[in-house]
Amino acid sequence: MSTPKRILNALAIPVATLVILQALCLFNGQSVISNMKSFDNFIVYTAIVMITTMALSINLNSGRFDFSLGSMASLSAVIGAKVTYMILSGGSGSAALMLMIALLSGVILGLISGLTYCILRLPPIIVSLGVTLVYEGIMYTITGGKYVMTEVQNQSMSGLTGTWIYAAFIILVVLVFMIFVFDKSAFGYDYNALKSGQKVAVATGINEVKNALVCYGICGGLMGIVGTLNAARNTTINGGQLNFGSIAIMFTAFLPMFISGYIGRFTNEKIGFLLAAICMSLLNSTFAVFSNTVNATMQSIINAVLLVVFLIYLNNKDMIKRLIKA
Amino acid sequence: MTNKKRINNKQKLIAALPIAALLILFAVFLAVVNMNDYRLDMYLKIVFNEALVLAVVATGAIFIYTLGTFDISLGASTLFAATMGVMTYNYTQSLALMILVIFAVGITASLLNSVLASVFHIPAFVTTVAMMSVLSALSAQIITSFGGALGGISIPSEVIKPFDNVGFKAALLIIFFVVCFFVFQFTKAGRRMKFVGGNPLCAELTGIKQSKYTIIAFVMAGIGIGLGAFLTLCYTPSVTTTTASSIGMNIFIAIVFGGMPISGGARSKIYAALIGGFSYILLNDILEIVIDSSAAYGITQVISAVFFLAVVYVTSMNYRTALLPR
Repeated sequence: MSTPKRILNALAIPVATLVILQALCLFNGQSVISNMKSFDNFIVYTAIVMITTMALSINLNSGRFDFSLGSMASLSAVIGAKVTYMILSGGSGSAALMLMIALLSGVILGLISGLTYCILRLPPIIVSLGVTLVYEGIMYTITGGKYVMTEVQNQSMSGLTGTWIYAAFIILVVLVFMIFVFDKSAFGYDYNALKSGQKVAVATGINEVKNALVCYGICGGLMGIVGTLNAARNTTINGGQLNFGSIAIMFTAFLPMFISGYIGRFTNEKIGFLLAAICMSLLNSTFAVFSNTVNATMQSIINAVLLVVFLIYLNNKDMIKRLIKA
Repeated sequence: MTNKKRINNKQKLIAALPIAALLILFAVFLAVVNMNDYRLDMYLKIVFNEALVLAVVATGAIFIYTLGTFDISLGASTLFAATMGVMTYNYTQSLALMILVIFAVGITASLLNSVLASVFHIPAFVTTVAMMSVLSALSAQIITSFGGALGGISIPSEVIKPFDNVGFKAALLIIFFVVCFFVFQFTKAGRRMKFVGGNPLCAELTGIKQSKYTIIAFVMAGIGIGLGAFLTLCYTPSVTTTTASSIGMNIFIAIVFGGMPISGGARSKIYAALIGGFSYILLNDILEIVIDSSAAYGITQVISAVFFLAVVYVTSMNYRTALLPR
C-alpha cells in the first residue's frame, strides 16, 4: 500500500468521527470544541485515554489480561498525593512532584504485580484479580475509605489540567517513549518476538521473565500518570474502592484499543493509540455538549453499542462487503 | 511405592484441597463466632444467604468458563433481572409474573451475549464488557428514577417472606446444582463443552459446532442469573444500584478457589463454584469478625486476596509449565 493511501486509511476513522460529531453539534447550533476550556478538556481526556489504552494493550497483546490497572492508577495517585502533601502542603510544584511520585509508585506497583506473576506462575488473569484486591485494600487502609480531596485540591493541580499544554507534553513524551521502547530497542524486539511466538522466542534465548517484569513496570508507570491526571481532573481520588470497584477504568480503554488495532494496520500502532484516543475524546466532548439531553446512562449505552458495532464490522468485514456487493 | 503411584496420590491430595479448605474455614468460622459469643444461628444464616447467590450464579457460569471464556456481566445481569422483577411486581402485583420476568430477563441478557459472540464472531468477554455497561446503566437509571440511588426500589417484604427460609433456598440450590451436574457430567453437551474449552480447533475439526455450545452455556448461566436474582430478592426485597455489584468478579474467585482452572477445558469441575463460593464468603466473614472495625475492610480484603492466591498456587501445583502461563 502506498504511503498516501496508508495516511488516508489511518486518518479515516478520526476524520469521519470529527465530521459526524461536528455535524451533530452544528445541527444543534453548537460545536464539538467551542472554547479554550473545552479544548483543554479534550486534550487532557485524550492523554488519559491514550495512556490507559497503551497500558492495557501492553499486556493484553501478549495474552496477559490485567484487571489491576485501575487499582494501580488509584493507589499510585493516593501515594503520590499523600507524600506530595506531606512535603509541599499543596504549594507550588505539587502537581509536578505528585506526577513524579505517582509515576515511581506506579512502576513499583507494576513490578510487584509482575513479580507475583513470575514467581507464582499462575495465569495472569488470576494474579491480577489477587493483586487488584490487595491494592484496593491497601488504598482503603491508607485513606480510611474516604475521598482524598485536600491533598489534590490546590492551584498547582488545577493548573495541570487547566491548560492543554501539560497534557500535550505528556502525550508527546509517552508517545516517543513507547515508540522507542517497543519499536526501537532490544527489549521491544524481544517483546514482539514473545508476543508472536512465546515458545520459539524463549527457545532462542530471550529472557521471558525479565521482559514480563519490564512490561508490568511500564504499565504501572503509565497508570501512575493516568492516576495523577484523573486526580487533577476530578479534584479527588476515591479511596473507598473495594471489591473490584477500581476495574471500571480499564473498560473505557477497550473501544480505543480495538480502534487503534484497526488504525495500526496502516501506521505505527502507537500513533494508532493516539488517533483512537482522539476519537474517544471527540465523543466525550460531544457528550459534554449534549449533557442536558444525553445523561450518563445514555453515554454508557452509546459507548457499549459503538464497541459492539465496531467489533461486528471488524470481525465480519468480508461478509458485509459480500452482502453490499450482492 | 512406585513413582507413578506417588504422583497419583499427590494429585489426589491436591485435588481434595479445596474441600479441605472449605471444611477448615467452616471450623475456624465456628470457633471465631463462639469465641466472640456471637449468635451462631444468625451468622450461619448470613453466610448462607451471601454464599447462596454467589454459588448459584457461579454454578451457572461454570458452563461459560468451561468453554475457556468468561462473562464479566453476570453481576450486572443479576441486578438488571432483579430490577425488572421488582418493577414488574410493582406494576402488576403478580408474584408469578415477577418470577417469570426475572428468569426471562436473566436468560435473554445471557443469550444476547452468546448470540453476539457466536453469530458475529466477537470475543465473548468483550460482548460481556459491553453488556455490563449497558445493564448497569439501565438498572441505575430505573432505580434512581423510581426509587432513589440509596433507598432503591422494593417490593413489600410480606410478598417474598414465604420464600425467605433456609429450607426453601437450600432446596433450590440443590435442585439447580443437580440439574447442572447432570448436564455437565452426563450429557453430550457437557462433554463437548469441555472438549471445546480444552482444544477449540480440534473440537471444530471433529465437527463440533462451537456456537451451539456457546449458546447452551450462556443459557445455563442465564438460568443461574435468574435464580440468583430471585434469591437476592428473597433475602432483601429491595434493589439498589449496588445490589449484586461484586458478584461478577467474585465468581472468578469462587471458581478458582473451588479448584477449577480459569482456562476451562477437561479439568473443569461443576462443584468448584459451590465449594469456592462458600469458602470465599466464609473467609471474608471470618476476617470481618476478627478484624472488627470499619477501617479494617481494607486489611480484610488484603488478607483474603493473599489467602486466595496462596490456595490457588497450591491447588495448581500439578499444572506448572516451564513457560510463563498466559
